[in-house]
Amino acid sequence: MTAPAGPARLEADAPLRVAIIGNPNTGKTTLFNALTGLRQRVGNFAGVTVERVEGAFRLPDGRRCLLVDLPGSYSLTANAPDERIALEVLLGQDHSAPRPDVVLVVVDAVHLDRNLFLASQVCELGLPVVIALNQVDAAAAAGITFDIPALTHDLGVQVIPTVASRGEGIDPLGRALARAATLPPPPSRFALEDTAEVAVARYAWIGEVVARAMTRRAPAADTTSDRIDRVVLHRVAGPLLFLGIMAVVFQAVFSWAAPLQDGIEALVLAVGHAIGGLLPAGDLRSLVVDGVFAGVGAVLVFLPQIAMLFAFIGVLEQSGYMARAAFLMDGVMRRVGLHGKSFIPMLSGYACAVPGIMATRTIEDPKDRLATILVVPLMSCSARLPVYTLLIAAFVPAVPLLPGLDLQGATMLAMYLLGTVMALAMAALFRATLLRGPVRPMLLELPPYRWPAPRSIAVTVWQRCVVFLRRAGTVILALSVVLWALATFPRTSEDARLPEAARQEAQLAHSALGRFGHAIEPAVAPLGYDWKIGVSIVASFAAREVFVSTMGTIYGVGDAGESALVDELRSERRADGAPAYTPLIAVGLMVFYVFALMCVSTIAVTVREAGRGRLGWQWAGVQFTYMLALAYGGAWLVVTVGRALGYA
Amino acid sequence: MTNASSRELPVCTCPLVDSEAGQEATVVAIACTDRDACRLRAMGVYEGATVSVVGKKHCLLVDVRGTRLALGADLAGGITVQPRGSVAG
Repeated sequence: MTAPAGPARLEADAPLRVAIIGNPNTGKTTLFNALTGLRQRVGNFAGVTVERVEGAFRLPDGRRCLLVDLPGSYSLTANAPDERIALEVLLGQDHSAPRPDVVLVVVDAVHLDRNLFLASQVCELGLPVVIALNQVDAAAAAGITFDIPALTHDLGVQVIPTVASRGEGIDPLGRALARAATLPPPPSRFALEDTAEVAVARYAWIGEVVARAMTRRAPAADTTSDRIDRVVLHRVAGPLLFLGIMAVVFQAVFSWAAPLQDGIEALVLAVGHAIGGLLPAGDLRSLVVDGVFAGVGAVLVFLPQIAMLFAFIGVLEQSGYMARAAFLMDGVMRRVGLHGKSFIPMLSGYACAVPGIMATRTIEDPKDRLATILVVPLMSCSARLPVYTLLIAAFVPAVPLLPGLDLQGATMLAMYLLGTVMALAMAALFRATLLRGPVRPMLLELPPYRWPAPRSIAVTVWQRCVVFLRRAGTVILALSVVLWALATFPRTSEDARLPEAARQEAQLAHSALGRFGHAIEPAVAPLGYDWKIGVSIVASFAAREVFVSTMGTIYGVGDAGESALVDELRSERRADGAPAYTPLIAVGLMVFYVFALMCVSTIAVTVREAGRGRLGWQWAGVQFTYMLALAYGGAWLVVTVGRALGYA
Repeated sequence: MTNASSRELPVCTCPLVDSEAGQEATVVAIACTDRDACRLRAMGVYEGATVSVVGKKHCLLVDVRGTRLALGADLAGGITVQPRGSVAG
């Protein structure tokens, strides 16, 4: 771009503000991604949880264009929160941005008449409008042809045919946007209100426009999508296929991401040690290596899972399968007051609550969304796995139960089931109390199946990763450093004669965290725990896996490995000589971990996703408190009932 | 669905839920909350629109000018339609 030369040039360089709006499934986001690429910024609309994505690009004339993506809407008058926001932005009532100069309406060429309902409402607003007639390739394949000049004439706005998934029509669209800013807004034809009369009149007018500007072959009675749906929505095959697809997604997020995560962890650790090596031994080095780099590692380690999950969600959404999944799951989820779309985030929760909570963005209803956010962390995530594995290996005997299933496996399965059942039960409870409201009746468009656009999915995955790093990263990093400080200060006088592991143990016992463990010992005593377990639980707040390494530190096995720790736990005695751990206490501890929200990252993400500022903290508080109550109650119940039944 | 019950009416109407699969019908009335009615109209189900049921599962699958909509039974029960070719006399 050439440097601006003179005032006139400066004037032309004032960015053109464009708002992009369209029905869901019109390829609006794909067009947005095609126009802006990676130059996107994600935020929230003022005061609400609806996400605001902005992007910038250069118009063909060199002028900068700021594009804001409005929520997918069927109408401007439907009064759903996201649709209200669209209207507020278009009317210039949104405080977070000035009124747009031009509105770009994306319409699906295959379903022009229905899409023109929203487009004609936008034309009432007195703003210049450009219509992107998207997916003209699919329309042509369906035997639909358009008389673009007639359409332009009848609608009174420029109509540009596009195929966003292939980047076709992007340049003409840019020229049309620049030109529209200099043209008068389209004439207003109807009142912008929602009555049956206005809607009928609007559709009658649309019918005339479409009759003049569009010709179509008699539509096939049985489309390809219909044929696919006969299998996908089949009573037996549908749920089976759904389970199969979900198994692949689960497997991918759960295990395909693992090598990448290990790699990232190792890399961060290596860099941390390399930099630590340059620093003199002492608190500064400890802060850098154990605080900052451990914290950075704890953040980055989530990236592969987040990228993987959002890539799958992107494919499922763009292909049209997501709507079918919501349809299939609606019956089950409705019983606990949730929407069919709550299923994907809950399933993701098995891998990690962080991407799971981020995936609730696909749920439109705010109460459904909040209820889902609140219960997602009850799904047993992969970070609980090390805790379960350690305790099961130490205290649950491998008694064969069924072919291929022993008591150890059954215990693991029971923990997963316990979390899942409780998540559904708590969702029902929240929807009946704090988040009471009618369950919205099922009304869902099943879009035609389409091939996903890989480029657009890549852009979305990138965007999600950046959002995660920017939003959660800062909080996780800060809290990791705080936990490091609590475990490090005040310092003990170092006794160089002691072995390293013993020094660590003495230091931990002396630290603020250790003192806290002693202080809360009376609170955890009813659960059968001593202060060491108390400390491990508190320390695991940074991340649940830390429980295992903290236990390693406390029991002085250091990095000697899990089998050493298992032996140590089995032989650990209390002051009175009784074993510190019994199978009963171990099961109680596992139940505690099933329910407890021992995860800084999840809290950080809940704060961000449940609303900004105080609202987010409030919901995160609700989430943490109810899960802690469940954890404590559950562990207490296991130990108390177990003892009453005569188990140790 | 039989037409016997509404012999006296000039036209025969029925809830969308009861209309036969594959048969085109015209929407004559929408009875539900304003918010849901507004959503329905925005999605192409308005008074006078042509719709046809393409499948019945736990929800109704409806064709609205080439768009497939899944409608819950509660919503579909409030939509009254007049099946095509059912004008009596």
